[in-house]
Parts: sequence; C-alpha cells; structure tokens
Amino acid sequence: MDCLEFRRLAGADPQHPDAAVLEHAAGCPRCAGYLRRTLELDRRILAALSVPVSPQDAGRVAAPAAPIPGLDRRRWYALAASIVAGVLVGSLLWLGGPRNSLAQDVLAHMDHEPEAFVVTAVPADPAVLGRVLERGGIRLRPEVGTVSYANSCRFRGRTVPHLVVQTDGGPVTVMVLRNERPDTAVAFAEHGFSGTIVPAGPGSIAVVGAADADLARITERVLAAVDWSQE
Amino acid sequence: MNAPFTGKHGESAFARLCDELRPDLFRFAFWLARDRQVAEDVVQESLLRAWRSRESLTEIGAAKPWLLTIVRREHARLYERKRFETVPVDDLVGSESPELAAAEDQQVLDLRRAIIELEDDYREPLVLQVLMGLSTDEIATQLGLTQAAVLTRLFRARQKLRKRLVVGANDEGD
Repeated sequence: MDCLEFRRLAGADPQHPDAAVLEHAAGCPRCAGYLRRTLELDRRILAALSVPVSPQDAGRVAAPAAPIPGLDRRRWYALAASIVAGVLVGSLLWLGGPRNSLAQDVLAHMDHEPEAFVVTAVPADPAVLGRVLERGGIRLRPEVGTVSYANSCRFRGRTVPHLVVQTDGGPVTVMVLRNERPDTAVAFAEHGFSGTIVPAGPGSIAVVGAADADLARITERVLAAVDWSQE
Repeated sequence: MNAPFTGKHGESAFARLCDELRPDLFRFAFWLARDRQVAEDVVQESLLRAWRSRESLTEIGAAKPWLLTIVRREHARLYERKRFETVPVDDLVGSESPELAAAEDQQVLDLRRAIIELEDDYREPLVLQVLMGLSTDEIATQLGLTQAAVLTRLFRARQKLRKRLVVGANDEGD
C-alpha cells in the first residue's frame, strides 16, 4: 500500500483501519500523523453533529395501541409524548444541577485540548511535565504509565495540571483539581466519553476516557500514582 | 426469533427500542432536513409508520438501519408533499435553527456551519458513519450505492471539511 492509497482509506473510514492500513501507519510516521489528525477531526465532527436533543425529542415512545375517540393517532401520540416529556423534564431538573456541573466543565475543557484524544507512544517532554506537576503542587509516580501530554490549564479560575495518560483502552485525560472537592465520587458518561471525579488529597482528580475504557482500573492507578505531598 | 415485536411483549419491547433510538433518529432527521421543526415531524411520522410495520422487523439487530431507512423515506416524502422554500445557509445557521447558533464553542459552531454547507451527497454518508455508527457496507445498502462510492464520498466529505476549517482559521487570522 502506498501513501496515497493509505490516505484514501484512512480518510474515508479512520475508525476502522484494516490490517494493511495499520501496517502502513506503523512504518510511515507521516501517514500515522494523518490518521491521528483524521481521528481528531472525526471527534470534532461527532461533537458538531451531536446537536442538543430536547426532552420532547428524547421522550418516551408510547404505543398508540388504542385510538382515543376524537383524537387521531398523531395527536394521541403527541399528547402522550408531551406528558412523558413533562415527566422527563422534571427528572432532568432533579438529575442535573450542581452535581453534574463539575463534570460538564471538565468535558467542556477537554474540547479545547485535542491532544487529549491522540493515541501515541511518544511521552511528553519531561521538562514540561515536571513544570506542570510542580505548578500543580504534585508529584507523579512512574507507575501511572506513559504521560503523552501535560499542560497547566486554566480551569474554574485556577491553574490545574491537565495530563493525558496512554492506556490499553486509549488515551485518558487526567485533571488534578486541588480546589474542587466533591462530597462523593461522581461518574458521568457523555458524547462517547465516560469519566469519574474522585475526591483525592485536598481536592479531587477527574479521569475521562473512551466510553468503553476500564475506568475503574485506570482511576485506581492514577490515584495511587498522584502524590500530593509537595504541598 | 422470527418476529420479536409481535404480541404485548413485542409492543413494549418495540416501544423501549424506539425510546432508546429516538434521540439518534432525531439527530439524523435534523441533519437531513437541517431544521428542528421538520426533524420533529419526520421522526414522529416515522415512528408511527414503524409502529404499524413493527411485526415485519424480524431481527432486533436490524432495527436501527430499518428505522433510519424509514426516516429517510419519510423525509423524502415530506419534501415531495411540501415544496419548502430554499433557505439561505446563513439564515439556517443564524436564526432558523437557534440550537446551531448556540453551539458550545466557536470550533463546534464553525464545523456545524461547514457540515450544513456540505452537499447532501457528502453530508448524509458522513452523518450515517460518524453519528449513527454505520459501517461503510451498511451505508452503501442504505443509500443504494457501491461501497467504493461510499468510501469516495466519505473521503471527500472530510477533505471538504478540512479545507473549510483551514480557510476559516486563516480568515480569523487575517
């Protein structure tokens, strides 16, 4: 397979590269970079395509089994949907609110850091990583695995370490939130990601990966690797 | 099982399935019509049609492509019935569809604009692949194309979006 053929295939179906595509990428850094950029583009396309769905559009589908006199099926259906939508809105209000706002902010922040989605074996510059950890007042034990990205990010008015750790289940974003202390661990899933924010040290740690990542194991590893003692 | 959606049990199973898939169906309809109100009508009509024909669905695994086909047909039917006026893309982004204008960040908004402006031939397979998770084979069946044609359209769709984003970024920098 030559580079042109590779790009034609990877550019058409980057999520499902066949063996030949992967083999070519392994031996051609430029094409491997193309595949990474295309995957990143796909992530952004998915975010753009995922237009908000109103509670009514997400409403329960009621079976229009028995027509109601005076109402045609469509009206009956709309009526049923609106009743369920009302219930659903109530549920959303109860489920939403502050409990999820930290998680939402973490996910929103990730949108601005495309590096968080790059699969790579290349570690971050040790000097950069060192500075990020120092600014965040933490140390990181090597057991955490390959840290491919490190940045000191502004998050909720504070500067926090934003790391990407490469795992078997793909890249995982780790944000060390010294000033955010949830009462209990928070789990969330959205836009194809799953994440958790776990109380740790004086604050918490957010860990976000692909929806199918083994987040419990990864979170455990991250918690064990973060040393807050630099404070 | 030959008819998983027959009888009382089948009815509730089908209602649950539609319940799960409805947000996806709405998004698909939205990207076909590029209009929230039209998408709502299309999905509502589609689900009614699906409900009436549910017993013809013999495999649960085939439900999503089957429903997507119904949504596509219903959308086409709606356009046959009503001759919608052509809406300029800027109006569509700015005022006709406020949810597009209220994207979470500028990058998402730029990309939504670019996707809206893609020709139907490119936008639809891209939505089916990236949003609906269909394989290129399934997209080919859905659109009545060869797999090679689908691959070409998907490649070109991404190329166009890339180009558009690069131009947009350069414009901002100017």
